[in-house]
Amino acid sequence: MSDKILYGYTGIFDTPDEIILAANKVAEDGYKKFDVNTPYPVHGMDNAMKLPVSKLGYAALIFGLTGTISAVTLMYFLSVFDYPIVIGGKPFFAFPAFVPIIFEVTVLAASIATVVTMIALFFKFPNISHPLHDTEYMKKVSSDKYGILLQADDLKFTEESAKELLAKLGAKDITAIYYDQAEISTEHKIFEPKFISLLIIIAVVVSGSTYFALNKLMFMVPFNWMMEQSKIIPQDNNSFFSDGKAMRTPIEGTVARGNMPYQFKGDPESAGKYLKNTLLPTEKNLDLGKKKYDIYCSPCHGYYGEGDSRLRGQFPNPPSLHSEKVRTWTDGRLYHVITEGQNIMPSYASQMTRKERWATILYLRVLQRSLNAKESDLE
Amino acid sequence: MSSNQTNIDYSKKDLPGILTKLGFALFGVGLVIVISAFFIDHTRAAFNNLILLLFLTSIGLGSLFFVALEYLAGAVWSTPFRRVLEFFAATLVILPIVALPLLFNMHDLFHWTHNEVVQSDTLLKSKSGYLNVSFFIIRMIAFFVIWLTFYFVITRNSKKQDISGDQSLTSKNIKISAVFMPFFALTVTFSAIDWIMSLEPHWFSTILGVYYFSGTVLAALAAATLAIVLLVEKGYFVKGMVRDHYYSLGALLFAFVNFWAYIAFSQYLLIWYANLPEETFWFLHRWEGNWMFVSIGLIIVHFIVPYFGLLSQPSKMDPKRLKFMSVWILFAHFYDLYWLVMPTYGKGYAVFGWIELGFPILAVGLLILIFTFKSKNQNLIPIGDPKLKRGLNFRL
Amino acid sequence: MNEIDYTREIPVIEGRPALREIDDLIAKPLETKPDKKYYIALAVTLTMTGIGAIALLLSFYYGTGLWGNNNPVGWGLPIVNFVFWVGIGHAGTLISAILFLLRQRWRNGIARFAEGMTIFAVMTAGIFPLIHVGRPWLAGYLFPYPNQHSLWVNFTSPLLWDVFAVSTYFTVSFIFWYVGLIPDFATLRDRTSNKIKKLIYSVTSLGWRHSNRHWQHYEMVYLILAGFATPLVLSVHTIVSFDFAVSIMPGWHTTIFPPYFVAGAVFSGFAMVQNVLIFIRKIFNYEHIITLNTLERMNKIILLTGSMVGYAYAMEFFIAWYSGVQPEQFTFINRAFGPYAWAYWIMVSCNVIFPQLFWVKKIRRSIPIMFVIAVLVNVGMWFERFVITVTSLSRDYLPSSWAYYAPTLVDGAILLGSFGFFFTWLLLFTKTLPVVSIAEVKAVVEGSQPSHGDH
Repeated sequence: MSDKILYGYTGIFDTPDEIILAANKVAEDGYKKFDVNTPYPVHGMDNAMKLPVSKLGYAALIFGLTGTISAVTLMYFLSVFDYPIVIGGKPFFAFPAFVPIIFEVTVLAASIATVVTMIALFFKFPNISHPLHDTEYMKKVSSDKYGILLQADDLKFTEESAKELLAKLGAKDITAIYYDQAEISTEHKIFEPKFISLLIIIAVVVSGSTYFALNKLMFMVPFNWMMEQSKIIPQDNNSFFSDGKAMRTPIEGTVARGNMPYQFKGDPESAGKYLKNTLLPTEKNLDLGKKKYDIYCSPCHGYYGEGDSRLRGQFPNPPSLHSEKVRTWTDGRLYHVITEGQNIMPSYASQMTRKERWATILYLRVLQRSLNAKESDLE
Repeated sequence: MSSNQTNIDYSKKDLPGILTKLGFALFGVGLVIVISAFFIDHTRAAFNNLILLLFLTSIGLGSLFFVALEYLAGAVWSTPFRRVLEFFAATLVILPIVALPLLFNMHDLFHWTHNEVVQSDTLLKSKSGYLNVSFFIIRMIAFFVIWLTFYFVITRNSKKQDISGDQSLTSKNIKISAVFMPFFALTVTFSAIDWIMSLEPHWFSTILGVYYFSGTVLAALAAATLAIVLLVEKGYFVKGMVRDHYYSLGALLFAFVNFWAYIAFSQYLLIWYANLPEETFWFLHRWEGNWMFVSIGLIIVHFIVPYFGLLSQPSKMDPKRLKFMSVWILFAHFYDLYWLVMPTYGKGYAVFGWIELGFPILAVGLLILIFTFKSKNQNLIPIGDPKLKRGLNFRL
Repeated sequence: MNEIDYTREIPVIEGRPALREIDDLIAKPLETKPDKKYYIALAVTLTMTGIGAIALLLSFYYGTGLWGNNNPVGWGLPIVNFVFWVGIGHAGTLISAILFLLRQRWRNGIARFAEGMTIFAVMTAGIFPLIHVGRPWLAGYLFPYPNQHSLWVNFTSPLLWDVFAVSTYFTVSFIFWYVGLIPDFATLRDRTSNKIKKLIYSVTSLGWRHSNRHWQHYEMVYLILAGFATPLVLSVHTIVSFDFAVSIMPGWHTTIFPPYFVAGAVFSGFAMVQNVLIFIRKIFNYEHIITLNTLERMNKIILLTGSMVGYAYAMEFFIAWYSGVQPEQFTFINRAFGPYAWAYWIMVSCNVIFPQLFWVKKIRRSIPIMFVIAVLVNVGMWFERFVITVTSLSRDYLPSSWAYYAPTLVDGAILLGSFGFFFTWLLLFTKTLPVVSIAEVKAVVEGSQPSHGDH
């Protein structure tokens, strides 16, 4: 067939010694586009063919290090920034504990990437439509013979010289290999319509089933069984108790954890005698006190404790806080007033925390001092 | 003497005199420093002496281990090298002398030799059945006797084979090597327990024997590799050595560097993770003061550098790289032993001065002298070994 | 005259078969229909698997209360079985990767089969962590991916390291196995006349043409994968040992666990491989490929690793005494004389005593005896994991918390099912893929490599 395109000429050899010699001679002859086909790797063939050393080692190194760096970065970011939790008293970036995972990810990345590089990049596989497939030559070198192929697109190639060279080397079954029509394509294999549609199908199937599995299936029987358990949780209703609720109210006298009830209820004298201010007059505490005083106390007592209420008579004005009586009251006595209220002043216990109350009292002392300063304050 | 096997191109040449002179010089300098050290600060000298003992044991015992391993595994690539390993195994002979100064400094070295301390400490008291001076010395003698017995029997057979070429000597040595291995495992472990672990008698670790073993094997391999590459380059070795022979040495060095790192890391991780004060204090001692830098340095010197230095395939076969890495690894093993031993002496502060330099100098001088001495009367390769030809023909 | 001649290389493949004979021999099981014995064997393994499957379904339906796990023995048979099966897998990688790196040519005849066993053993092992979490369908949460709970995994937990290690191990072993299969698929493609098989082999061989330009890269990748697989296999069982060793339990927290577990894994794995190979070589007539020398070498490795395990036992025991830590000392006395003494002595006799018989050459080369010893090794190693896990938990620090653990029938059925699962895959493997590597065996037949030894 004159319109068949020639791929190359092949020759068969019977022993490994012969093929090594033959390969070496072809390489020395100056051929660049030739190949040797053997059923298993023959020692010394790489040198005989004058092949440069494989660069796959670099792929392994680069991808391996990428894996290492990715693993370290990921664990650092997650454990130190995103959701730091103290586990076992160890630091957030617990490097010794991270080493096993770093190692595994390195090996995984390097192995997968190197093999994929070899198959896809170096071999340009999968490729099941190569001219050598389905030839008698391939059947022989797959089993027990050794072969040489001289490619037609080599610069030194002519049909006659190729046949002559193979005969000179002692090859048997010198045959021509032609391209099949179907094997000639100028497109990149990766853009083939069949392959693209396969990719699309896989993408649709995988994402669809993932969505279904995670968002629908997990909420279907039997996977949702543990979501509905027979045990009772606090906000449930429940037929066991007469009021139909699962939660019971706390019994009389229950206190919140860490919160002892106020022990000087209705007893201002003892409060004044025994309670001591837990805070020191630091700038921070005084700032807090000022803030709270301005929010809670000033509407009635005025900003400077003089009793100039802003309430315009809706509430009677309180007496001044600079009176002798109030100035000599202890901090504890003042605390009692804030906590329980006094006369028509209500209790501020639910609006101010205990610390805030003490801080306010400190600030009040400052105000009082301001109108009753000592000589020494001027220095 | 030339070989009596056909096709083996070896003729015994005496090693150059300058090597012996170098050995004597280093030995002399080292000895002067060591003796002065004992007069000036005998405690510090005793600790360094312990490091020296551990280092020389590594070389001697590790080399014997490789000789036995070669017989057991039936390896052929290492047969040309076996005699070099046998020469280094001769280091075992001088170990009793090296150990002697320790016996005069037991009180300074070992906390548990102080009776009053032991009586008042329940933990030490409970161990005193094992950790007492007489049993310690008996064990030490036992180690030396066992090691020297196997050394002499195996190497004598090997030497005999040079002349007779009798294959039954190989069979005999294989059987003896098989018997040696369990003894090796136990003695290397208990010498590590006695000479390293008991420095901190409250501490314990089941893997310490394996840890010391990994360093031992590395040191022996490195010493042998250095000697082999130098001998081949200078033409004293048998002809026919190619890069393929070097590959296995480089690959083993690489493998054992990784093995050491694996064992060291396992020990550290487990003790760090469980955080039990009865175990962690040992590592904390190696982190306080400037010991922190020594510890970080150990990782770099003993793992990072040799790992990348021997990672690529060509580097495992390159004579220059192998020589460099062998020297480096020997240095790394000494560093490792220093890190193991010295924190007991210098709590919170790592000392380093001319005393610490004198002992390694002495070690190198000793090893050179032992090697040159052995090579005077024996062939550098086991010319009578039936596997020798296969070993020379070994290709990857 | 010595009975062994050390100057001669013992041929790896006996008899110097022709290359085509090797093709025929190895492809034969794939080209012939299975016989009655095969179907009977398959029926047995499928039944075992079925029993296990029923036990699992019951466990999912009723909950893990069906198992024997209690307080304080929260870890029972599932973990024991997991460690057991992962250990079995290690022999395969050791044979393929480590023996390859050590240039031991005798591995070529058994590497393919051993790697297959690794993959099936790891699959079997993977069942256990999956089921013992109670809700295996939520297993996805084991991997760190962004989710609506803002929940990340605990990177410092050895159980998570297991997830990474075992999945990496499975993936890399599978890749290694598949890469080895590519040339064989090509050979099968080129000798079959069945159209469907031809299509399948064409696809799976990816178009391999036996080109030396490809062999060159192939060999480099094989070396790299072997180089990675070696530390990987050590790391996997090391990480499994960390499950125990990072804790503070007496009998668990010992620094020697990592190399001890690895040696134990190789020990049990080799025993299992040896057992199965004895059958394979007989049934498929591979006796000159999987030679008696190969089996003897495997027994030597079993002896070596068994001795390492024995060393570890001795070390643990000595240091337990030396450390003066009372709970640790108690643990060892408890193991030997407490309620689980029966398990302990099975373990010691099977792991330390019986394998020592392999010092004797006659025993190393006797197929019936070596088979029995290997079975005992596997029994012993299962019990070792049992003893380690259960004794430390059932008698830990607080005597008021002590309790006895007994596995239930459901536990036993799952264990039985795991064996069925493993052997089913093995049987299917023998009939669908070449169990011996055609290309690797050809490469070591006498006369297959060029004869000049020096360049």
